[in-house]
Amino acid sequence: MKLKKILFAAVSAGATALASPSFAATELNVQRFFGACDADFGTNTDPAKAVGECGIITSLINKFNADNPDVHVNVTTVEWPGYDQLTAQFASGDAPDIITIHESVLSDYQSKGLLMPLDDLLKSVGVTPDAFTDAASNGATKDGKIYGLPIDSWTMLYHVNMDLFKQVGLVNADGTPILPKSPEELLAQAEQFKQKTGKPYFVQNLANETALYTRNLYTYLFQQDSDFFADPKHVKLNTPESKKVIEMYKAIFDKGYTTKDLDYGGSINAFLAGEGGVHLNGTWVVGDYNAQSETKGTALNKGGYAVYPYPQLFGGAHAQYADGHTWAVSQKDRTPEQMAAIGKFLKFFADNDFEWSRTGHLPAYKADIASDAFKALPHRSTIAAVADLGKPLPSAVQRQFAIQDIIGEEMSAAISGQKDVDAALADMESRINELLANI
Amino acid sequence: MADQLTMPQTAMPAAGVKIPSADIYAPQWRNFMFVAPFLFFFTTLLVFPLLWGMWLSFHKADTFSSGKFIGLGNYVRLFHDKVFLQSVWNTFYFVLLTVPTLALIGLFLALCLNRRTRTAAVLRTLFFSSSVLSVTIVTLIWRIVFIPNVGLLSTIYGWFGATAPAFISDPSLAMIGIAIATIWWCIGLPMMLFLSALQQIPQDIYEAAALDNANRWQTLRSIKLPSIKRTFILVVIIQIVLQFQLFGQAWLMTRGGPNNLTKPIVLYIYDTAFRRWDLGLGAAASEILFILILIAAMAQYLVTRSRGDQT
Repeated sequence: MKLKKILFAAVSAGATALASPSFAATELNVQRFFGACDADFGTNTDPAKAVGECGIITSLINKFNADNPDVHVNVTTVEWPGYDQLTAQFASGDAPDIITIHESVLSDYQSKGLLMPLDDLLKSVGVTPDAFTDAASNGATKDGKIYGLPIDSWTMLYHVNMDLFKQVGLVNADGTPILPKSPEELLAQAEQFKQKTGKPYFVQNLANETALYTRNLYTYLFQQDSDFFADPKHVKLNTPESKKVIEMYKAIFDKGYTTKDLDYGGSINAFLAGEGGVHLNGTWVVGDYNAQSETKGTALNKGGYAVYPYPQLFGGAHAQYADGHTWAVSQKDRTPEQMAAIGKFLKFFADNDFEWSRTGHLPAYKADIASDAFKALPHRSTIAAVADLGKPLPSAVQRQFAIQDIIGEEMSAAISGQKDVDAALADMESRINELLANI
Repeated sequence: MADQLTMPQTAMPAAGVKIPSADIYAPQWRNFMFVAPFLFFFTTLLVFPLLWGMWLSFHKADTFSSGKFIGLGNYVRLFHDKVFLQSVWNTFYFVLLTVPTLALIGLFLALCLNRRTRTAAVLRTLFFSSSVLSVTIVTLIWRIVFIPNVGLLSTIYGWFGATAPAFISDPSLAMIGIAIATIWWCIGLPMMLFLSALQQIPQDIYEAAALDNANRWQTLRSIKLPSIKRTFILVVIIQIVLQFQLFGQAWLMTRGGPNNLTKPIVLYIYDTAFRRWDLGLGAAASEILFILILIAAMAQYLVTRSRGDQT
C-alpha cells in the first residue's frame, strides 16, 4: 500500500513538472523541401561543415535548436515542391507554422488570406526590408506587404564540363569557355561539339519534365523584350518570339545536340560522368558540382568545372528568369511566445544567409552579396551577375506552377515532334488563359 | 366449436396470454441498431462525399471556398478540354491493355499451378508476392528497370550493343510501360481467384472424364473453363473497376507525360482539383469517372447475365 502511494506521488510530481509551462519549450512546426539527409547531417550543428541544400538547411535548423533551448522546431520534410500537401493542410485547417514557399507561389496562398504579413514581426526582431536585395524584396512583397522572409534568389545556369570544352577548342585564351552569342552560334558550336567529342552539347532532363522547358522559354522571351504577361490574367504566348525559342530548342533536339530520355537524377549522373558539355541546371547544384570538381578521378576534376548565367542569345534586355525561396508563416491565432519563437527563427535565417548561399543560391541580403566571404566562394564571380539579370514573372500572376506544367507539356510535345509548333503555341496560350479565367 | 377453441389464442389478449410472434422476420426498428455502425460510416464516408461531390460539380468552387452555382458549366468546360478527353481515352486504353492480359495470364498461371506439389506452392507464393507491395515500391522497381543508360533493361540491351526502348519517355511506349508494371503488380489476385474456383470443381467430374478417356484439352474445354465462367466474369469486373482508377503508377512513373499521353482520369482530377485548385471542375471530372465505371461494370454484368439465362 505504501509502495503504491509513493508510486502515485512520483507519477503526479512528474506529470506536474511536464505540464508546467516553465519547463516546456515552445513548439514550432516547420515544413520544408530541399530533401532529407539525416543520415549525414542529422546531428550536425555546424553549418560550415555541411554541403548542398539539404545538408546546410538541416544543419542550420539543428544549430537553431541547439542555440535556443526555449524553442523546439519540429521539421517535416516534403517532396519538392510540396504544394499539393500544403494546400490540403491549409484546407483542413492543419497548416504548419513556417513553410518554404517559392516567391512565384506566394501570391496563390497570400491572395486567399492564408499567410501572415511579416512586416511587424520582422521589425520586432530587427530585420528590415531595406536589407533585402531588390530581387528578394520584389519577390517577397505582395500588395505592399512582406509575405515571406526571402532566403535566396535562384536561377538556371550553364554548368560547363571544361575538359570537353577544351577538347573541342571552345576555350578563350584566359581559360574561360566560349559561349554562344546568338541562336545560330549556339547551333554551330553544338555541331562542332558533337563532331569533336561524339557527345551532345547539352545534358538536359527532358523525360516528362516541365520546369526546365518553361524556365528556358521565359529567359529567352525576356531577352527578346516580349511582355507576354502584360496582363497578369491573360498571357500572350502565341507569338513570333516564342516560336523562335521553340524552334531553336527543336533544332537542338532533332540534331542530337542534347540528351533526350533522362529524368532529373539521370541528367545529373550523366553530367557528372562527362556525357555532355553543358548541363542546364540551377544555382542549387553549384556547391555539389564544385565539390565533385575537387575530387580526384571525377569527370569534372579532369579539366575543371565552370558555371555561367545563360548566354545572351537575342538582342533585347539582358535578363534571365529567376525566382527565390522564402520562409512564409501560416495565418492563425498564436500566443506571444509562439510569435516570439517564429521571430527568432526568421531572424536566425536572416543572420545566417551567408551559410545558405554556399549552396550556390544568391544571397537575399545586400550585406551578404557584397561581403568578401561571399565573393571568395568558388564561381561567385561569374554567377553574381544573376543578381542584376534575374527577372521573375509579374508578382500578380497566380498559379505559376500550374502554368509551368502547361508550358512544359506543350513545349515538350512541340520539341519532340509530337505536335506542330504553331499548334502547341496556340494550345499553350488557350490552356493558360482558360486556367487564369477560372481562378 | 373449432372457432371457440382457437379464440383464446387469437382474440383474447386481455386475459394475459401473450400473442406468439407470428413472423420472426417481421421488421422491427430495434434491429436497425445492428447495422447502425456500418450505416454511419457508409453514409459519412461514402454517401455524403458522393452527394457533396455532385453538388460541388455544379459550382465554381476552389479548394478554399464553395463558390457560386454555375449549372452544367464545369461539364461544358470538361468536354471542351482536350487534356480531359485525352485522359478519358488514356484510361480506356489502359483498361484495354491490362484487363484482358490480367485475366488471361491469371487464368494461365492458375491452370499451371493448380497442383499439390511443393514447386507449385512456392511459385503461387512468388507470383502473389508482388501484390503485397505498395504502389511506390512497385514503381520504384520498374523505374530501375526502365531508366535509360543505367536501368536493367538498358544494361541487358547494352550487352548486345542495342538501345533499350524508352518505356518512360517514348510517346508510344509510355502507357505500355505503365501497363507492364501494373500487370506485374496485380497478377496475384486474378490468379488466386481462378485457383480457388478451380479447386472447387468436384473431383468426381474429373474421374468421370478420365473414365470417358477425355484428354487434357477436352477436360480443360468441357470441365474446367465452363466451371470457372462466373469467376472469370468476377475477375474481369473487379479488374475493370480497379484499372479505371489508375493513378499511382502514372503519377510516379511518368507524371502523366509525355504530353499527357499517360494521364488517366484520376490524375486529371488530382491535377485539376488539388494542383490548380479548380475543385468544381475536378468534381465534375470525378462524376464522369463514376458514371464510366458504373456503365462498364453494369454492361459487363448485364451481358454476362443475359447469356447465362439463355444457357
